[in-house]
Amino acid sequence: MFNKKRPNSSDKQGSFSKKFKVEDDEQSMFENDLAIMEEMDKELDDSPDLLGEGPDQEDSSALWSRPAIKEINPVAESLAFQQLTIDNYIGEPIKGMSGAQTGLVPITRMFGITMDGNSVCCNVHGYSPYFYTNAPEGFGPEHCKEFKTRLNAIVLSDMRGNQNRVQEPVLMVEIVKKINLYGYHGEELEKYLKITMALPKLVPAAKRLLEKETVLPAFSGHNYRMFETNVDYDMRFMVDLKIVGCSWIELPAGTYTIRDSKSRLKGQSRCQFEVDVGWEKLIAHAPEGEWSKVAPFRILSFDIECAGRKGIFPEADKDPVIQIANMVQIENKRLIRNVFTLNTCAPIVGSQVISCEKENNMLEKWAAFVRECDPDIITGYNINNFDLPYLLNRAKHLHTKNFNFLGRIKDIQSVIREQVIQSKQMGRRENKSINIDGRVPFDLYLVLVRDYKLRSYSLNSVSYHFLQEQKEDVHHSIITDLQNGTPQTRRRLAVYCLKDAFLPLKLLDKLMCLINYMEMARVTGVPLGSLLTGGQQAKVVSQLLRLAQEKNYIMPTMAGGMQDEQFEGATVIEPIKGYYADPIATLDFTSLYPSIMMAHNLCYTTLLTQKTINLLNLSESDYTKTPSGSYFLSKTIRKGLLPEILENLLSARKKAKTDLKSETDPFKIKVLDGRQLALKISANSVYGFTGAQVGKLPCLEISTSVTSYGRMMIERTKQEVEQKYCIANGYEHDAIVIYGDTDSVMVKFGVKSIEKAMEMGREAAEYVTTKFINPIKLDFEKVYFPYLLINKKRYAGLYFTRPDKYDKMDCKGLETVRRDNSPLVSNMINTCLQKLLIDRDPDGAVAYAKEVISDLLCNRIDISQLVITKELTKNDYTAKQAHVELSIKMKKRDPGNAPKLGDRIPYILITGTKGTPAYQRAEDPIFVLENNIPIDFNYYLENQLSKPLVRIFSPILGDKAESVLLKGDHTRKKAMVTSKVSALSAFTKKKEVCLGCKSVLPTNEEKNALCKYCLPKQGELYYQERVKVNDLQEKFCRLWTECQRCQGSLHEEVICTSRDCPIFYLRKKIQIDLTAQVKTMDRFGNPNNK
Amino acid sequence: MFEARLLKSGQLKKILEAIKELLKEATFDCSDSGIQLQAMDDAHVSLVSMYLKSTGFDKFRCDRNLSMGINLESMVKIMKCCSNDDIMTIKAQDNADTLTIMFETSNQEKMSDYEMKLMNLDQEHLGIPETNYSCVIKMPSTEFARICRDLSQFGESVIIACTKDGVKFSTSGDIGSANVKLSQSASIDKEEEGVSIEMQQAVCLTFACRYLNLFCKAAPLSPQVILSMSGDVPLVVEYQIEELGFIRYYLAPKIEEDD
Repeated sequence: MFNKKRPNSSDKQGSFSKKFKVEDDEQSMFENDLAIMEEMDKELDDSPDLLGEGPDQEDSSALWSRPAIKEINPVAESLAFQQLTIDNYIGEPIKGMSGAQTGLVPITRMFGITMDGNSVCCNVHGYSPYFYTNAPEGFGPEHCKEFKTRLNAIVLSDMRGNQNRVQEPVLMVEIVKKINLYGYHGEELEKYLKITMALPKLVPAAKRLLEKETVLPAFSGHNYRMFETNVDYDMRFMVDLKIVGCSWIELPAGTYTIRDSKSRLKGQSRCQFEVDVGWEKLIAHAPEGEWSKVAPFRILSFDIECAGRKGIFPEADKDPVIQIANMVQIENKRLIRNVFTLNTCAPIVGSQVISCEKENNMLEKWAAFVRECDPDIITGYNINNFDLPYLLNRAKHLHTKNFNFLGRIKDIQSVIREQVIQSKQMGRRENKSINIDGRVPFDLYLVLVRDYKLRSYSLNSVSYHFLQEQKEDVHHSIITDLQNGTPQTRRRLAVYCLKDAFLPLKLLDKLMCLINYMEMARVTGVPLGSLLTGGQQAKVVSQLLRLAQEKNYIMPTMAGGMQDEQFEGATVIEPIKGYYADPIATLDFTSLYPSIMMAHNLCYTTLLTQKTINLLNLSESDYTKTPSGSYFLSKTIRKGLLPEILENLLSARKKAKTDLKSETDPFKIKVLDGRQLALKISANSVYGFTGAQVGKLPCLEISTSVTSYGRMMIERTKQEVEQKYCIANGYEHDAIVIYGDTDSVMVKFGVKSIEKAMEMGREAAEYVTTKFINPIKLDFEKVYFPYLLINKKRYAGLYFTRPDKYDKMDCKGLETVRRDNSPLVSNMINTCLQKLLIDRDPDGAVAYAKEVISDLLCNRIDISQLVITKELTKNDYTAKQAHVELSIKMKKRDPGNAPKLGDRIPYILITGTKGTPAYQRAEDPIFVLENNIPIDFNYYLENQLSKPLVRIFSPILGDKAESVLLKGDHTRKKAMVTSKVSALSAFTKKKEVCLGCKSVLPTNEEKNALCKYCLPKQGELYYQERVKVNDLQEKFCRLWTECQRCQGSLHEEVICTSRDCPIFYLRKKIQIDLTAQVKTMDRFGNPNNK
Repeated sequence: MFEARLLKSGQLKKILEAIKELLKEATFDCSDSGIQLQAMDDAHVSLVSMYLKSTGFDKFRCDRNLSMGINLESMVKIMKCCSNDDIMTIKAQDNADTLTIMFETSNQEKMSDYEMKLMNLDQEHLGIPETNYSCVIKMPSTEFARICRDLSQFGESVIIACTKDGVKFSTSGDIGSANVKLSQSASIDKEEEGVSIEMQQAVCLTFACRYLNLFCKAAPLSPQVILSMSGDVPLVVEYQIEELGFIRYYLAPKIEEDD
């Protein structure tokens, strides 16, 4: 039992140490890693070891700063760089560049890296924002000038202040021929006015004024409809110049100028190159072939430690920052490793220690370090919401000089802004946004929360989950003690801090987040930074605009607003529940919704109304009527934009999938899988975009048509399969569709062997595919054998793609995958299913379930198994919820330790009086442990275990499942715990019972261990108790060493209090048990005295 | 071997009624002096202590001390099968995992026996040390039940204040407040019907109504209830069971900061 419950048992650790050839077992794994890194550095370059040379910064800076620049001649040589971020600012126009020459103009700034690793800041001039509106009837080129003058006057009079000294807000009005993207109105181009404005912020103003004021009296009755007014300036720029996220930009020779000490224009940035170029001149390379390479950018990962006060979470205006650990990764290889410490710190092999006497000094030095090493990407764990704001606030409080200039622009300070994001994918989140111009903040925490569903997001549990590596979790109240200790204790803290900075880098690497995000940025065309902060919509808009521009379409501005129209979702074929011992073939539509949109040419540009059909005199064959009653033009006349976008995405996905099949490296498989998943999500989000009612361009006709087609197709598939495969047609059995959901159907062909089922599945898929329009494709994917169908969206089965061996056990909608349950439930269900499906041992499964239930009632289950976690998303729930109530309780107990919004709160259900609602009985697991509070095992049995258990066992055991599992003999042994903190506990006195038979000892015999009836068995009973003590002692020692290994030193006391670590809970519990057991032993008395 | 014969099974029925709301399972500790039960409710706010002395039984035999874990719900089900006048016998072997309950009608015409599975309850045995209480109030149990029921309509907690003049129960809640005051009865015809107060020191404590109401389920056992109070120690609500023993409830006073 003991080994089973230790996920990283010591033998695993042992193998680690073997791998690294650790002679000295007492040094921490991580410190070894650090030392090894230094070894590797030495091999890497021949330069003498510069680390730890001394406090003089000049010595080490060679290692910190970027490679020196090679002189380039802008007239003869071109400059190519990979851009990472794009922003814009308002500045003075530069002579010789296109665009407005008076007033202030918008200038786009791109930051990037050359292949040599030099940083580039590129100012792009002359690009001005614009929008479209429909031209009034009879508006000719002769009206343009007057229109422009009038609009100019109106906009100018509307401007208050005019800080930007704009003299001519409207730069240009021209007539263009374009097509409205929304709805089909024939092939003819329509006349539109393209209005170019001087500044981005004037676009909405012009839109508003055009709608309100009469510009040209001659056309006073005209209703100006707006197009593309809501397109962001940066996105407009990227779309027009065909720049996608993270792409390469080339400035051909002779088109650009370099700013340096000699040039007339003074550099504004800290980049090595600062160049100016006109927007028409630069070349944006599509990320293909040679230009799909990646420049060697620098990633800085850092972590800070603060000396908090007892019981209070650190506050920037009171608690000092004491250490800042940094790790910089360059070209996936060399790391700069250093740690800035307040007060002295013993040296650490493999890392530079920079000790400062004053906090102010330390912060200054750190900021200088950041500027010097000039990272392109800043990462860390939760830096966005904690570390960075804390540092900035602290520096402000201390009036540190030049601290908040962390970006690449010399004069721009980094400021904290509050930002609230609302998206369907993520829910509501409060984030801080900090501008570090020219660098991409890439908080790993945000990536993980967005992309992975985990029980806990603490760095410890995350790194355990992905890297199988634990780290200490030092409670912030202990940090102060370590800081106030000796150089040795501060060293310990520094190593801990370094590890916290190192782990995010390692995780980024392992999960290939950056590569995947870069890929996503390139596919969808949005900048890297906005992928983390923005929602799904921006990606679709970006793709839509790009394609629309190519095809001469323009996108209307839709008035935002909620429509309360609900539409029917996907269909589910009523499941025929049960346990199937025959193979069940599963037929899936590959990317159902995207392929429907492609097959039926569903798009904004092909949407028809009855009126248009009549008007244009379209024949029946020119359009299709969808099952939901909308009309769409057929492909032959006009191909939609959305189908084309989808084709691009899906062909990219197909490629990733084929690569996936030939790939053997298990890790790369994961990456490719991630990529194809990202592409799938992007493809599916196109459908979502058309249905998003608060979106930029909602079109319910499309989304309802898609779902209605989906419903129809599932029904049709069922029909076709059941019609063809029946005894009447010469098959051995009648095929039955036992279940179908959204894009898949499960078919029971009645055959007994997997091969046969697979064969028939393949055949059926091909057969049904012929019934649908290309590219809709029904695929045979897998066979479930055996298959346990519990309910809609709930099933489990052994998943076969090859007839000889199963791939995995697949569970859908069962408690194994849900996070709102305790691990006990998912582990138990998982094991039961394994026994049922893989071992085919129902009796074993039942016996196992009984054993667990009995353990639960006897309080033998490890407490970490009972912890339920829920995310605290908002404070004002209308219905009371356990985790919310607990967070309030914890706040009262210790305000510093209280959970914050967005945290996942772990809790345990404790007993209460009859009728006390569950939400009042949630308690902090550690508080439960420490105070021996009785856990409500019945709650766990009845509310957590019973339903899922009965669900999976009832197809096998039938109706008696409940009585067998939940009421059997195994439920008759119970442990009752006595709390230390209840209302009565202060008054009660424990009565001793006989250790043999549990009967109460009479008052005069209280000191004895046994009653007089059990006395003859004293030897045996003593031995039993002794064994228990030894057992507990051994367990405790092993746990303690386990923790010491994890913390990296066998000489020091364990200080870790990680709430995610099962070992921590176990250690605490054993400690308590052991103390109690030793006391029990004392009752036998000292044998020598007798 | 354990065997106990009770002439009126109704008594045990009432006892079970009086504790089943507070406890789901309980250990009956049997010794040659009688049967004892002591357990806290799930929330650990109150404690039930029951003692049935061996002399109260018609026949009582207990060879060795014995602890029986009983699921009270199941026991209640069995007790429903008898009428109040039936004679009842409880039997268990040493180290047995079942308990046999036998009923015979007073005219000996019908005999029935039931076997119940016992539970193994690993539980600490608790006791509350005897103390001298500042106030001891004796009053009719129906009166006490009535007061508790009435006041619980107004608020969640009851303040019991005992002074020389008498005892005051008061509460307040959303709809208003309520006060009930009892004075020491002047004439004592029948001791059970009067209110008597023995007091060394005035006491004023707050208790949860819910629990008091649960305690009052024991009223059928005894016409009189004894409330004992001292400052900052649990309240004792005691019901004497005629000839057989007693049942006592301890309830921790509410401390103000709890809401």
